Amino acid sequence: MGEQFGWAGTILFIDLSNGRITRVPTTEYRPEEFMGGVGLNTKIFWELECPEVKAFHPNNPIIISAGPLTGTYGPFGRGLISTISPQCYPLELFAYSSFGGRFASELKFAGYDTIVILGRSEKPVYLSIQDEEVRIKRADKVWGMDTFLAQQTLLADEVDASILVIGPAGENLSRIAIILNETNFAAGQGGFGAVMGSKNLKAIAVKGTSSVKVARPYESLPLIKMMIEENKKVEDWVGRFRGPYTTPKETQEIFARNYYVKQIGCYGCPRQCVSIHHIPEIGLSGAKCGDWQWAPMFCSAPKDIWEANVLMQKLGLNSFDITCGIPVLLYRAHKAGVLSTKEIEEDIGFPAPQWLGGQATDHQFLSVFFHKVANGEIPYSQGTPRFTDYFKERLSNGKGLMNLQKELYTARGYAYHHMEDLGSALHWATDTRNPIGSSHEYRYPFRDPSPEVMEHFGFPPYSSYQIRDLTKTSYEKVEIVTKWVQEHQCLKNSLTLCEFWTDLSNFYHPPEMDIRIFESSIFSAITGINMNPEQLAHTGERIWNLRRAVMVRRENRTREDDTLNEPYFEKSITCPGGVSRGLQNGPIDRVKFERLKDKYYELRGWDVKTGRPTRGKLEELGLKEVANKLTSLGKLP
Amino acid sequence: MEDTRSGAIVYQQGLCSACGVCEVMCSLWHEGMVGPAFARSNILRDPFTAKHRHITCPQCDDPACYFVCPSKDKALCIDKATGVIYINEGACNGCGLCVDACPFDPSRIKLHAVKKVAFKCDLCMGRKEGPLCVEHCPFQALILPKDK
Repeated sequence: MGEQFGWAGTILFIDLSNGRITRVPTTEYRPEEFMGGVGLNTKIFWELECPEVKAFHPNNPIIISAGPLTGTYGPFGRGLISTISPQCYPLELFAYSSFGGRFASELKFAGYDTIVILGRSEKPVYLSIQDEEVRIKRADKVWGMDTFLAQQTLLADEVDASILVIGPAGENLSRIAIILNETNFAAGQGGFGAVMGSKNLKAIAVKGTSSVKVARPYESLPLIKMMIEENKKVEDWVGRFRGPYTTPKETQEIFARNYYVKQIGCYGCPRQCVSIHHIPEIGLSGAKCGDWQWAPMFCSAPKDIWEANVLMQKLGLNSFDITCGIPVLLYRAHKAGVLSTKEIEEDIGFPAPQWLGGQATDHQFLSVFFHKVANGEIPYSQGTPRFTDYFKERLSNGKGLMNLQKELYTARGYAYHHMEDLGSALHWATDTRNPIGSSHEYRYPFRDPSPEVMEHFGFPPYSSYQIRDLTKTSYEKVEIVTKWVQEHQCLKNSLTLCEFWTDLSNFYHPPEMDIRIFESSIFSAITGINMNPEQLAHTGERIWNLRRAVMVRRENRTREDDTLNEPYFEKSITCPGGVSRGLQNGPIDRVKFERLKDKYYELRGWDVKTGRPTRGKLEELGLKEVANKLTSLGKLP
Repeated sequence: MEDTRSGAIVYQQGLCSACGVCEVMCSLWHEGMVGPAFARSNILRDPFTAKHRHITCPQCDDPACYFVCPSKDKALCIDKATGVIYINEGACNGCGLCVDACPFDPSRIKLHAVKKVAFKCDLCMGRKEGPLCVEHCPFQALILPKDK
């Protein structure tokens, strides 16, 4: 066997129903065409026949992949989890979520690119992986524990392992349960923690003593060095996530002065973008970006903010959904007169804080609310859309509430994140999950007016402010941006490359630091496989098309499903936090949006009528067997 | 007279993020592959207190590993000018006595799983920029003080 660079070389299949453990060479899944991460995950899911089961069915596989670059020096530490998502609404779609930390690198050091978990254990178990030694062990003593305590307890047996774990929320099948590594690295979107819970799988502990081989380190090291140097020259926008940046200055100062400990981040990455804070009576945890943004939406005291953050991580809850979801819905419903304080307290069962017209402290509200979600109490634990559905008949003005829900939620049931421009709207319409959470390219390259960046990448040179103001923007050529971002997102999520470090406005010059050239040179240096930027772009397109093929095969995705929630076509909708974000001067023009979809399908080489990939396109991408399968199912246009 | 003693790497725990760049660079430079098991400089992590530990050879003045080596001065050697304790792989038979003799826990000398020889930090001897881990640490948590 020749020396393999980049990839570890083995995929691990574990069936929890019968305890069978199988090892398959990664080469059987054509890693040069699908890389790792979401690409490899989707390829494996396709080969598993895209099971048409519900998220909590034993046949729903959990697929966890590192990428060919993971474990080496640079921002490549992410892992990607793919599975059928219980959070997607109304249909449970095959989706993915990524996580940082050390786990994905440790997986490579143990000799694996991917773990595929199938079946369901009778009793609570955890996976112990130490190099070749793979065991399914009893997890009785950690079942019921919060995510921190469970990891600390397991570490006594699994010395120096890196652990993916679920909290009570995952055990109790909350549809917004996360899978966590350490104190803060979470696969947060999709409710994947509940899929682990449904398999009675509490944790996966990995420790490896092998290595990742780098083909040409003398080429890769200067690139990373240059990346670091170039990064020093631009605004450190990740730096502001060191504290609760949306709160008043005094609050930020309290955190900086009294609670800040140090930075952490992914393995092997020099950026270390997560900050650790510690309040002795509450706990120590990492936090970044959204962690700082969501909790202050309904807490103001520093200790409450921190308690909310730590509690979400410990219980294993998706902080994005639990704060941008039900509380915002309640707040807006209350403000709009749809829900009275009495109804909130008596019918819905929360102690109403001041912002809902009640007397409860923020602490009382958040601890009752979070625990109800984590304990699996229906309907709280089911995420906001299902929570709303549950109450729609009972509430005095259910229709109004339903409309609010649709403003806050996208077509797939994910809480509102930025929808900055028409390109991201199109992206949102055609993806399976919250695409902005996975593709910050839509947020950051266009944050400040920078026609230069747009032009560099061949996009229409509108500035961001024009793009998000619907009276100033154009529907022309938007499909070009969406297509590029989607494919680049697939590539980054497969290599794997950091989402935060690669915002385009800081990554287009000098020539070596054009993100496309950088990806090509770093991939070639690490794996020893020379791929030029065009070939890598082709890979991204292949992965996006395979993802679409899964949607078509498993979920009967058609053009009609590629849409936004109705209110986006009816009025101007801005971010629930009241921040001046989101599309301005809406609504989106329905006719023009449909025309934009025509152009998008055309550009993709897909059938405009059905929105499905054509045989020609699939064969061009080396996906002939995918086309054949879709034909045999009568699903190829 | 110029002081040529090497000194030893100093670890500032309060700054260390446990990113592992020291391990990555060390194993890549010395072994041509990346893996903490092949690094001479390791981090023992505690993500729940954020108080990590740095595990590497402090270049003892009275090195038990040296005295126990059956091929001392051929396999386990001390650099005359700097006092750096280093292993000459070609002369090491992997007996492991030095690993056990190290007074620290875990031992600062490891056995190489592939080459079956002992290996340890030699402060990147011969590298004019000094130790790689010190050079690449993103937070200057590892330093090699010049004044001793």
